[in-house]
Amino acid sequence: MFAYVVKRLISGVLVVTLVSMAIFLLFWYGPSSPAQPICDRETSNRCGNKIELYEKTLGYDNPVYEEYGKYVKGVFVGRTLTIASNDYECSAPCLGVSYRTKQPVKEELVKRIPATFSVAIGGAFLYLLFGVPIGVAAARRRGSITDKALVSSFLFISSIPYYLFALLTWLYLTITFEIPLFSETGYFSPIKDGPWAWFSGLFLAWVALGIFGCTQYTRFTRGAMVEALSEDYIRTAKSKGLPTRTIVYKHGLRAALVPVVTIFGIDFGTLLAGTIFTERIFEIQGIGWWSLQAVQGRDLPVVQATALFSAVVLIISNLLVDIVYSVLDPRVRLS
Amino acid sequence: MSAETAGPETLGSLSNEPEHQDPNSQQAKEISGKSPLRIALGRLARDKVAVLCALVVLFFIICAVFAGPISKLFGVSLDTGLASEYVDGLNNGLPKPEMGPPNGPFTWDHPMGVAPRTGQDNLAYWLYGCRVSLTIATSAAIFASTVGVVIGLVSGFLGGAVDKVLSFFIDMFLTIPFLLAALTLAPILNERFNTSDNYSTIQKISLICVLAVFGWMGTARLIRGEVLSLREREFVQAARVMGMPTSRILFKELLPNLAAPIIISISLMLPAFVALEAGLAFLGIGVTDGVSWGQMILDAATPVYFRDYPQYLWQPMVGVVALVLSLNLLGDAIRDALDPKTRR
Amino acid sequence: MKRNKPLALVAGAALLTLAACGGGSSDNGNGDGGTDRKIGAQEGGSKDAERQGPAPEVDGAAAGGTITVYLPGDPGPDSLDPTGGWSVTGNSIQQALTSRSLTQYSRDENGQPVLVPDLATDLGTPNDDYTEWTFTIRDDATWEDGKPVTAEEVAFGICRSLDSEAFPSGPGTEYSKTYFAGAADYKGPYTGKDPNCEKYDGISVDGQDITIKMEKPFPDMDYWGAFMAMGPAPLGNASKPPNYGTKPLSNGPYKVDSYKPNEELVLVKNDQWSADSDPARHQYADEFVFKFNQDQAKVDEIMLSDNSDSQTAVSTGLGSGNYNDANAQLGDRLVQQTSQCVSTLTPDYTKITDINVRKALAYAYPYEDVWISGGEVPGVTRDYANSIMPPGMAGKKDFFVDGEQIKYDPEKSKELLAEAGYGDKPYPITMVYYEVDPLAKDAQDQITKGFEAGGFSVKAIPVQESPYNIWLDPDNKVNKKLNLRGVNWCSDWPAGSTMLPPLLKTDAVYNTAFFSESSVDDEMDNIATLPLEDQAGAWGDLDEKIMTDYFPIIPTAFRNDLFVFGSKIGNPTGDGSIGAPNYKDLYVMQ
Repeated sequence: MFAYVVKRLISGVLVVTLVSMAIFLLFWYGPSSPAQPICDRETSNRCGNKIELYEKTLGYDNPVYEEYGKYVKGVFVGRTLTIASNDYECSAPCLGVSYRTKQPVKEELVKRIPATFSVAIGGAFLYLLFGVPIGVAAARRRGSITDKALVSSFLFISSIPYYLFALLTWLYLTITFEIPLFSETGYFSPIKDGPWAWFSGLFLAWVALGIFGCTQYTRFTRGAMVEALSEDYIRTAKSKGLPTRTIVYKHGLRAALVPVVTIFGIDFGTLLAGTIFTERIFEIQGIGWWSLQAVQGRDLPVVQATALFSAVVLIISNLLVDIVYSVLDPRVRLS
Repeated sequence: MSAETAGPETLGSLSNEPEHQDPNSQQAKEISGKSPLRIALGRLARDKVAVLCALVVLFFIICAVFAGPISKLFGVSLDTGLASEYVDGLNNGLPKPEMGPPNGPFTWDHPMGVAPRTGQDNLAYWLYGCRVSLTIATSAAIFASTVGVVIGLVSGFLGGAVDKVLSFFIDMFLTIPFLLAALTLAPILNERFNTSDNYSTIQKISLICVLAVFGWMGTARLIRGEVLSLREREFVQAARVMGMPTSRILFKELLPNLAAPIIISISLMLPAFVALEAGLAFLGIGVTDGVSWGQMILDAATPVYFRDYPQYLWQPMVGVVALVLSLNLLGDAIRDALDPKTRR
Repeated sequence: MKRNKPLALVAGAALLTLAACGGGSSDNGNGDGGTDRKIGAQEGGSKDAERQGPAPEVDGAAAGGTITVYLPGDPGPDSLDPTGGWSVTGNSIQQALTSRSLTQYSRDENGQPVLVPDLATDLGTPNDDYTEWTFTIRDDATWEDGKPVTAEEVAFGICRSLDSEAFPSGPGTEYSKTYFAGAADYKGPYTGKDPNCEKYDGISVDGQDITIKMEKPFPDMDYWGAFMAMGPAPLGNASKPPNYGTKPLSNGPYKVDSYKPNEELVLVKNDQWSADSDPARHQYADEFVFKFNQDQAKVDEIMLSDNSDSQTAVSTGLGSGNYNDANAQLGDRLVQQTSQCVSTLTPDYTKITDINVRKALAYAYPYEDVWISGGEVPGVTRDYANSIMPPGMAGKKDFFVDGEQIKYDPEKSKELLAEAGYGDKPYPITMVYYEVDPLAKDAQDQITKGFEAGGFSVKAIPVQESPYNIWLDPDNKVNKKLNLRGVNWCSDWPAGSTMLPPLLKTDAVYNTAFFSESSVDDEMDNIATLPLEDQAGAWGDLDEKIMTDYFPIIPTAFRNDLFVFGSKIGNPTGDGSIGAPNYKDLYVMQ
């Protein structure tokens, strides 16, 4: 087990390294100089031959491996970045300085994590809260009209691309029905602006994520439940005359939850890594929204940081899922 | 990184893989004498939902292939005159009453109305948008599954170090956040080719590449799993003993046995790519010349137009939803037909 | 002054506005219903050197409350350092509320901006040939920490504007560097490792007097003094960039409470500011909250809903799709402010050498269609332009190049092309557009259609970055292929000297037409030496002469801004000097 975790961690670090290298190279060998965006920005588009100054101070005239080395070193011990004639302190772990705001990327990243995590946790909470019980109920009434109607309507909803679903949710709830309480969407700090502002700003995003996820988890849970209920030991339990309640919840649900928890773990990791569409549609200024802005503003350090952040979150959450999986299902041996 | 995801923000089922199936099961007995594909087709034909979905998909394919003749039939085209002939700049840029809804009665000149602000004919743009959507999704699916099949085959058959390296790459690509990668790549690719004369074609090709590069992993894993079980079978062993070259074993012996999983993975990829193409256009990358459902949605999804001119949003929306929905359901049905073990 | 909107095809340079005769503008436009809006005729460049603090009270003004300002699609300034500020957004906010300078503008009862003293006791005293200016600094102005603002600090602040590497996009690069004596050889306090500005002798301090020596005649120094770059900075390391840009020391009625670049700026009352020391600013609201980068559609929804949040809010933009509703619903609270900006197309003077071809382009440009598809409201946010100098600028003439306003007329365009000898096959045009913005793309489609109908063939190259990056970079590969570019230009102050030379002087940075005629250059140099009262008229004459004789640049539109004010915002007006809401005089109705 321990060896497995170490192995996975090593491979995770390797993946992160490769991803960061890939992004680094991508910008380095892109069509225009990586210093071009910041030079254009700083000089109000009159960059011209000042590009050399920016390339020099940002180190883009050095070989790529040397600069990558500096970047990696900065992550561990921090560094001082020079852009033209201005120095920017960037403490470890240094992810660079935003080309637009000149703030250390790390600080901004940390500031935006609560927004994305609020969206992810709230949405996931909602879809688990409704999805799993509805799925169990549907599985118990398998074949009934209710079950069929539920399954086919949920199949319908979950076949719609998510962003269209979220878009419609936003348009209908704020424009057509004008729900006044929740129309001002966005992230508000629960401490500074109060819990109500936080709640009402995120509510619609949660509803969209919740309903959509709920349809999928209902189907999942139902599928897993049906499979579990058709196992031999359930038949044994039935023939023993155990009460249905015990059979369904104690024996059936326990087995059915294993795949559901696994899938949920991975999903949740994906959500934490960035909810670009949700944040874009509901104007929530989290990591996904920020990365969109960064791409449009060609803010390379931020693009790099958000991509790495997502990769790290995904790797960690996948590892956790595998560990939890082995605990939940004793048949699985990690090796 | 191993299980399938169902999460909303993954956008579709890029990394979905069907449940592992065992072609070695009891189904074989009752169906001797018929090829598995024929049996599956027979099952599909009896599935009403599948037939309906196939018809819907067929409708979209016809729209896409004959976008030109159909628009000619209705007397509409992508060529639009100047905006002020169609829309009223002083009335929120909405179409003039004689252009049909929302301010006037239906007119055959523009059966689906014209777009606000630019006066483009909605029907023509819808038809060509359908073509763009299907072309990109299909090419990307073919491209991605080819890559996936080759990597899966090689990795599964050769095993050992090659398998380890390739599996690592599969895991790595699964870890890269697709949307961010696409967002980063698209402008770089576009900038490289922006002076070219057929820029819009290159843009679509680069979009196909981006989709394919991040879409092959599911197939690769699926095929790898299949190959792992197939390579121990007698006919493969026999071919080896006979000294057949590896490439021949891979493509002559193994590949035909992988038809079912390949079809399944393509059928799952298609709706995901249709959704992705529109989704990327909605985020402002991908196709930018306006002939794209995603871009139409982006333009229409403002409170003003939604309130005054909702059908402008609904037209592309219905296109994407109907196509993705029927492709998804059809994909499920194909999966069921090919593998009776799965249940719905 | 640049406009801070990366997603719109805006940008450009230059700031201030106004001036005389209010010709040319707007009685077309205005849809059915709603208030009939006219852009107010602006009186030209009035000054009042005698104005003293405190500023007269605004009728009915009350103290207290928080004003929220939404800035749709506008990322705001990247830094708050007064020396680096050269954007409509940043300067309009900081100059009105936090950062004082030598002079400033005050809005008079007719809505006209008047140049009045600020930190100086008057508008400065030039010598006879405008090569030396002396300002006397008042002794009762204070910083937010209570310390007095000294003449040394003002001189140091002015000296900072000479550091064009530390402030590469600051206005000093254009004005201080050009006009101050010996500025070209001085690298500035930071780049030149001269932290107290001791090595530069162009600025001298004597008691409360600051004297600035000029390299060449600079009659507009009093206007230049209204930039916050011509204001004080704490001496030495306290104001070292870039850190000073995140929290500059305030000396105006408000101070920075918190600042998240591209996101939010919160200003709170500065209790050390005394109204008696300031001839034009007020301190009514308790707090200003500026929200940058807002979504236009969502801001419109908020502003039109008139709920408790939006009643005390201001928006600096209105989506064209909401113009009709807003016009009918808001009445006086929808303010249309001329922004003293002109949009132009600039045919490459070295490639398109025939004046008839340039005129043909002007006739083939489908003005209204471009506005509509670009999300503008014809006659309201965009208006036909007859010349380079915007309406209201001192000396502007109401002439028309061909006797009447040039409008879309493809037949006339073809005739002109035939006359120039290009009748038999389409004349090729190569231009760029900003692909990331769907509106820019739609507008380009209209331009292409219009040009093609007018006998041109168009190759439009999509770019992923601001077109200015292409246009202003002489080495750019794409730029070398172009024969049609464009510039949107706003005046920095209400004089022709901030419109014509930056756009049309040989080798000027924003002269993307590469127009070069030595007679025109000489005339521009000559005007700066004329007596002050003759200059305005001379610029107007030159404007007409250039357009009639050479037609080097196609003015496609005069630009106006729309501001939306909540129903509890008192005194909803625009600031005619900069094209922004009139922050100085706003209050919250109690």
